[in-house]
Amino acid sequence: MASFSLAAQALPGLAARVRAGPAAWSFAALGSLAVGVYFLLSPDAQSIFYVVLGFAAVAAVYVGTIRNLPRGERLPWHLFSLGLLGQVAGDAIFAVYEVKLDREPPLPSVADAFYLAGYPLLALGVFLVLRRLGGQATRAAVIDTVVVFCGVALVQWIFFIDPYNHLHFGNESARLVSMAYPAMDALLLVAFAQLLVGPGGRTVAYRLLIASVALWVVADEIYGLNAGSYQGGAWIDALWLLSYVAWGAAALDPSMARIAETDRRRMPRLTRSRLLLLAAALLTAPVILLVERAAHHSVHAYALSIGGAVLSCLVLLRLAGLVRAVERAGRAERLARRESEQAQQLLSFQNDQLRELDTLKDEFVSSVSHELRTPLTSISGYLELILEDEQDEQKRNYLGVVERNAERLLGLVSDLLFSARLQGGRLELERTEVDLSTLVRDAVESATPRAEAAGVELTLAAENVPPVSGEAVRLAQLLDNLISNAIKFTPTGGRVAVQLAPQDGLVRFEISDTGIGITELERERLFERFFRSQTALERQIQGTGLGLYISKAIVEAHGGRIGVQSEAGEGTTFVVDLPAIS
Amino acid sequence: MSDAPLILCADDDADILSLVSLRLERAGFRVVQAIDGDAALEAARSERPALAVLDVMMPKRTGYEVLAALRADPTLSDLKVILLSARVQEADVELGLSAGADAYLAKPFKAGDLVDKVQELLEA
Repeated sequence: MASFSLAAQALPGLAARVRAGPAAWSFAALGSLAVGVYFLLSPDAQSIFYVVLGFAAVAAVYVGTIRNLPRGERLPWHLFSLGLLGQVAGDAIFAVYEVKLDREPPLPSVADAFYLAGYPLLALGVFLVLRRLGGQATRAAVIDTVVVFCGVALVQWIFFIDPYNHLHFGNESARLVSMAYPAMDALLLVAFAQLLVGPGGRTVAYRLLIASVALWVVADEIYGLNAGSYQGGAWIDALWLLSYVAWGAAALDPSMARIAETDRRRMPRLTRSRLLLLAAALLTAPVILLVERAAHHSVHAYALSIGGAVLSCLVLLRLAGLVRAVERAGRAERLARRESEQAQQLLSFQNDQLRELDTLKDEFVSSVSHELRTPLTSISGYLELILEDEQDEQKRNYLGVVERNAERLLGLVSDLLFSARLQGGRLELERTEVDLSTLVRDAVESATPRAEAAGVELTLAAENVPPVSGEAVRLAQLLDNLISNAIKFTPTGGRVAVQLAPQDGLVRFEISDTGIGITELERERLFERFFRSQTALERQIQGTGLGLYISKAIVEAHGGRIGVQSEAGEGTTFVVDLPAIS
Repeated sequence: MSDAPLILCADDDADILSLVSLRLERAGFRVVQAIDGDAALEAARSERPALAVLDVMMPKRTGYEVLAALRADPTLSDLKVILLSARVQEADVELGLSAGADAYLAKPFKAGDLVDKVQELLEA
């Protein structure tokens, strides 16, 4: 245990792997050891040991599959189990011949049937694993697979299959079976190449799977080149056995469950490995030609020229697809740029239109103001003249009514135009330092005659307050609005109290009346444009519903707050807080 | 009366023109009237008033245009000008003052305000 922890400290990477998949690495370690032991055994024992080891691998793949994968995702790995089982069955029949009959099985034999049946299952398993990774159905991926297949098929045909055509066999079926092995290897080779460039994340299980397929194919190819001289127990048995071990370990490692997780960087773009693979496929025909010339073999002219042509066409197709994709991307980019330019043009056009509309609106407000004020000028001007000369008290009273209403009309025109300007956006202020106490005194003073006429007591309690930053004309308009409102809504005999006091960096203006009050429901809508309270309507108190809307806009333009406290019938208090200049 | 200052009153609205004239005459000034911009400029050149009360929105020449012509004429450069207008937005007032008016009065006006402003400018 102590030595293990020492080793674990010395090799943290290995330790992590041991912890990650103890079953897999135990199997790999024990299996490798067993492969070593294999070469120490007698030929008969070797045959039996070979079968046992193979069967252990099949069992490992099966157990690993059941343990690591949920039902429904196990098919590829069950195919591995079955494919390997085919191999083991072939090995077992081979072993029976060698141990019991002391000779190799005939060609062809039942063993060949099992062996050959195993290959497509293994290859199919690999393709299913890759298919689950996605990206295999794209045109590029399909072309890549076909290119690799053509290259592999060319090599297999020329070096491993066609030579059997020139050998003398006892019977034709022996020749066909012999040729079937390299044909099946072509399947595994394509599977291997696809695994190599596939989009799977490079987990331990994925690497082990690549290793096992590679070992198997290499062993087969070496065997194929030396078929005549192969003897059981030769060193290449180690490759097949290690392939068994790696396959079993791959299935036992928990990372095999994540093999279906795609590494997006490896999707079928032209990664370097993919490019190398395509280049290798393209070079297959010329390289074989050179090799054959160098070895003074007869050249497979037909196979090479057809294979080379097909490969060239396929690679061309692949590149054409790539060029088209680049062109498509370029077109899409140009289109997007043009659209964005058009959108910008539209936006700037709309901005121009908005500016134009804004100017038009200002122009309209200005002209309406002019058109309404001009007749009012004559009305109030001549009225002023008559009132100066008129001595008759009753006529003076009548004319007073006309004058008041002319003033009301003027106020209405002013409020309407002002609120029309407010609708167009935030109120722009020409700020100066304003002393509110002076403004409040002036406002109260000018409202006093109205209060007296209405029989309302108007009082002022103004403390010295710090100045505020604002526009004096607008603040005077605000004070006048609120004081006029209070007087208007307070019945005869009532009281309106105006207060001004500093308050924590603010200047607070408070105006309380003993008027008709506002219900809670109405308080929420009080500052809306054209809002009029029910009581005001019932008692026919004149107004437009613009005063408080304008007041709120003025307060907010000054960065202040306006609030109201009221109970119906109990009077109302408006509170305005404006930030003081510190 | 003949040495009382002469005031040029220009407005295309005859009622207002009469009103302004009446107010100024009652205050002891002599008045010359003009019904549009061209007439106002002509009267200013021929009558040599001490002060002009100009409406802004007038036919032929606006108050601004008359003002600009007056200011461009070196012989009339010391003529005081009050713009009297129903255009009362801040922008209008600013425009008037920046065009060289000595004062800008909004319509409707109080008689007292007009007379006070005229006297103030003439005494200055």
